[in-house]
Amino acid sequence: MVLPAERPRPADDVDPATLAIRATGLVKRFGSGPHAVDAVRDLSVSVRQGERVAYIGPNGAGKSTSIKILTGILRPTQGTATVLGFVPWQDRRRLAARTGTLFGQRSQLWFELTPRQSFRMLAAIYGLDRAREQRRVAELGELLDAADLFDAPVRTLSLGQRMRCELAACLLHEPEILFLDEPTIGLDLLAKRRLRELLVELNEAAGTTVFLTSHDVADIEHVAERVVVIDHGRVVYDDDVPTLRRSLLATKLVDVGLGGPAPAIVLDGVREVARDDALLRLSVDTTRTSIRSVLDVVLDRCDVVDISVVDPPLEQVIAEIFAAEQA
Amino acid sequence: MSAPARGAAVPVAPPAPGLTPLLVLRRLAVPAATASRRVLADRGGLVTSVVFFLLVSVVLSALWRAAAGPSGTVVGYTAAELTWYAFAAEAAVCTIDLRLIERIGEDISSGSVAVEMLRPLPVVAVRLAVESGRALGRLVALVVVGSGAAWLLAGPPPDALHGLLALVSLALGVVVNVAAQHVVASAAFRLRDVRATWFLYQKTVFILGGMLLPLEVLPGALRTLALWCPFMAMAYAPARLATGQGTALLLLVQAGWLVVLVAAAAFVFARGQRRLEVVGG
Repeated sequence: MVLPAERPRPADDVDPATLAIRATGLVKRFGSGPHAVDAVRDLSVSVRQGERVAYIGPNGAGKSTSIKILTGILRPTQGTATVLGFVPWQDRRRLAARTGTLFGQRSQLWFELTPRQSFRMLAAIYGLDRAREQRRVAELGELLDAADLFDAPVRTLSLGQRMRCELAACLLHEPEILFLDEPTIGLDLLAKRRLRELLVELNEAAGTTVFLTSHDVADIEHVAERVVVIDHGRVVYDDDVPTLRRSLLATKLVDVGLGGPAPAIVLDGVREVARDDALLRLSVDTTRTSIRSVLDVVLDRCDVVDISVVDPPLEQVIAEIFAAEQA
Repeated sequence: MSAPARGAAVPVAPPAPGLTPLLVLRRLAVPAATASRRVLADRGGLVTSVVFFLLVSVVLSALWRAAAGPSGTVVGYTAAELTWYAFAAEAAVCTIDLRLIERIGEDISSGSVAVEMLRPLPVVAVRLAVESGRALGRLVALVVVGSGAAWLLAGPPPDALHGLLALVSLALGVVVNVAAQHVVASAAFRLRDVRATWFLYQKTVFILGGMLLPLEVLPGALRTLALWCPFMAMAYAPARLATGQGTALLLLVQAGWLVVLVAAAAFVFARGQRRLEVVGG
């Protein structure tokens, strides 16, 4: 695997004037003295306008702190940053008029109101006139397939339905950058897939820059073009998704529920990672053997009662990145 | 929506957006009106508020009428005036969410307020607009029902001019109270739990605000103190006008406190947000 230290990062070779986000040497220290904690240390990252970037890392890596700095909620201890030409912590409100931020665990809708009433309030706060507001709500209802949800009280919506309405609220004022902090957390599979498709559609239709944090490998694969991995507040990996996919995301896990004893599965690129009387877990390197071939062999040789193909957990992907970095 | 070219030059930040106070107020009118309409549409919540208000007002006014006797007075108020006083003072306070301070405090200490910092208007301005809208929506219902009940119990209001002044004063009193609660709740930027603050605040409004009793009942020094505190603008001022006593000067005093408390709320929230920016939420 080629690591960032060995080649330019994807946004390093572009004209700085075309960058939507540019952060250099950011440090955020909480507390002071011996109890001080550096949530972000010497973080530098650049994002071109219209890029879809996944910003990932283990818990406590500094992802949310970075997003809070880039949106102006937090003031860094050191370093510089501009977002759409604004210094976020100096011009937070003016920047807010041109960005949208979605925190998966925080709502910006008023729970006792319907989404449409919340949109009315938000539109006024963002200075949208009535005609533009109505046009945007209609457009977003269609884009998010959520028009029928806009008139139900927010508190009665499921999490997936609410997230679509939250996204509509973020997009109402046509932001140029969308910051998404764990947007798929808690969603069911269908809702996750729909949200991912929407983000890509939005990016392709409107050129909206997407800056996404997630713990879900599928979010990275299906939404992002580029991956920035941080750990302990520093960027440890920065490359495009096809490269990451070739090197790390090619591995899938196949869980086989067993009705009886199963023989060893010997195939190129297939490794048994767990086994008991009821479950066999295989790790499959899809660049060497396709999932289809593995399933054919498993179904042929084993008494299968259940089978599923899943992505490895993000922690495993990150661990492999770190292992490659140290090697 | 036009799609900018990928990698296109990012537009240079425009000059100051020129959000004048008037423009901010215009933008805030919609959230306030929406919150008002929502409260009026919530029949269940409204009925609960009205029943609670009637219960307290009827009991309190009966106590004052008993204290005054059929033809006597208490500190210059007749039994009928005291009835109007009780209903107006209760209406001024019952319109506001009883646990507003606690709710604001929770939003601050849980970090929910960070989401509100990502809007192009000041956090406290939007909050004041929405909470005032909610309270004023409820006030409409309480004034309609309360006026009817007070009329039945004590006869018509003293005079039309004072009635009109009392209505304006009630609206001012409600907004003053909402602003003051934001000032107090901002303690949550430093303390984790503001429940004790809420308890203290509520009891102060009961006594020094004139909600339970006309301030003239208080002994000399305490009365003077109460008249110089902002709490009198919350219940005493509208209630006194509802009795037919007092002048339009009370509205000026309320307006003065409103300016002071909105400025204070803006200041303490700005300080609190600045603290959040540095130490995190």
